[in-house]
Amino acid sequence: MSAQILHQFYACLAPWLALSLLLLGRNPFLSRLRLFGSLLLAFFLLRIPLGGWSLFSWFRTLEMNPSFTLTGLLCLALCQRLSGQMIFRAEDWRAAWIVGAIGSLLLYPMGLGLTPIDPYSWGWGPAVSIVTAAFATLLLIRGNRFGIILILPLLGSLLNLQESVNFWDALIDPFYGGVSLIAVILIVIQSFRKCGPSV
Amino acid sequence: MSIPARLLLALVAGLLCWGVIRNVSPLKTGGFVVEQTGRIDEKPFFKNELINPEQGLPMVHVASLAQMPDGIMAAVWYGGTAECQPDVKIYFSQQEPGAAWTAPRVIMTRERAERDLRRPVKAIGNALLLANTDGSLRLLFVTIAMGKWSGSQLNSCLSNDGGLTWTRAERLTLSPFFNFSELVRNRAVPLVGGGWCVPIYQEFLGKFPELLWLKEQQGEQGHRGQLLYRKSRIAGGCSSFQPALIPLNTSRALVFLRDYTDNRKIFISRSDDGGIFWKKPMPTKLPNPDSGISGLKLSDGKLLLAYNNSTLSRDNLTIAVSDDQGETWEKLVTLEKESGSTFSYPFLSRSPDGLIDLAYTRKGKEIAVTSFNEAWIAETCASLSKIKSEAKHP
Repeated sequence: MSAQILHQFYACLAPWLALSLLLLGRNPFLSRLRLFGSLLLAFFLLRIPLGGWSLFSWFRTLEMNPSFTLTGLLCLALCQRLSGQMIFRAEDWRAAWIVGAIGSLLLYPMGLGLTPIDPYSWGWGPAVSIVTAAFATLLLIRGNRFGIILILPLLGSLLNLQESVNFWDALIDPFYGGVSLIAVILIVIQSFRKCGPSV
Repeated sequence: MSIPARLLLALVAGLLCWGVIRNVSPLKTGGFVVEQTGRIDEKPFFKNELINPEQGLPMVHVASLAQMPDGIMAAVWYGGTAECQPDVKIYFSQQEPGAAWTAPRVIMTRERAERDLRRPVKAIGNALLLANTDGSLRLLFVTIAMGKWSGSQLNSCLSNDGGLTWTRAERLTLSPFFNFSELVRNRAVPLVGGGWCVPIYQEFLGKFPELLWLKEQQGEQGHRGQLLYRKSRIAGGCSSFQPALIPLNTSRALVFLRDYTDNRKIFISRSDDGGIFWKKPMPTKLPNPDSGISGLKLSDGKLLLAYNNSTLSRDNLTIAVSDDQGETWEKLVTLEKESGSTFSYPFLSRSPDGLIDLAYTRKGKEIAVTSFNEAWIAETCASLSKIKSEAKHP
């Protein structure tokens, strides 16, 4: 399989997983029909041609490099939904959102020209992968399961599964960054509410 | 997770990190090749011609030149009904020494870019040619995914037969936010040990200048392998872009920048470490009507700049020289001037034989090339000095 086809195939995984999750909904009673039906329906919906190109292709135009972190989290969410078991605990999800929020706040404003410093250029060197590995190790030693997801960008980058060769793209993308920022804001609001004075 | 499992996974993370670090691109930045010097003892030479006299397109724009090792000059530009339109194509023409430019030939279309990249492309745009020392040509070109220039991306393909056929185009990922929006325009500078430093710029939230560092990685049996690349930033913000890079020696360089502010001046920035760190861009005394510029270093150390000598319009194309590395400028000659017309996007290039070629967009419908040598520049400078001296001491 040529590298280009492999990259195209990988780029289709995230939208397929995300749409499958949406179609599964929050209904706790999952039949096998509903499960496979949702996966198949998501696949065929993304194959619908629009302007001569499938939705998969339009997604690839927008985001050719979904991060391995996002793809891993979507896989995990789907596995949790299918098995009905809580694989990630609240603190694991919290770590995922905090890493995504910090990463996106560091990367996007400066990467898009806010300052003369460009953190995105660090992604072509070893710095970002070393920090990621160190953080993953720290999380794993503390027993936080998000550390396992943080291994995926290292693995994906090593296997050259993405079109991009910049490690930032393996670690974070605008979707994961955006959702993480919203999640962190919600966590902060919730914690303020908990700490607030009782009436 | 049990303690052994945690330790095992941490070990896996460490091993993978080690693998990633070993895989990090060996591409190094810095080390400019200083451009070939011209022969000042020649007779003055000056010529102006059109590359595409009968192309008949409503719009052509953004020409770039590259001289191949066999002396053949190649040019690319784009043309169609208007910028960012789906019918825009990239054209190629070449000129053997002493011969005329060949008829323009299409080398890239929106449809071909879609096929090569396997995704929808709204339009194609700016193109830049790089002539490798082994005779191959590298084409860098812009595709627009959505919107206009802010939704653009940079792509690349290679020709091993002097521009007749081109390899499948590949996308370069250069920006973290949906890979928006990187563009190319000005001349690339070769690097010591092979590779190129290509001036690029971003036009998404801000407009600012950057450098793309490229190297062809040799694959098995001498075949071309992967294209190695990374980029670095000249300046951030939203004030200047479209850098024209001029190396002064292997480590010192300066860039002239198109102005996007109300200053209406060409900006300059300097680097003393091979283009890695750049000083804050400062305005020069030269005007700029938010238009492209191009420059190069002459054999006597002077700088040559092609620009629009106006703060308001592109109705003239002027060249100026500086003998103090861009501090002060002397206007040399106005090559074109016509009220209501545009003469824009100059692209200066120097052949190994010392001939300087200036390609530019003429009235939006033609690509013109003015060729001259350093003897002509010296003669023009001498006549200007004589006129000035006579004016001072009549």
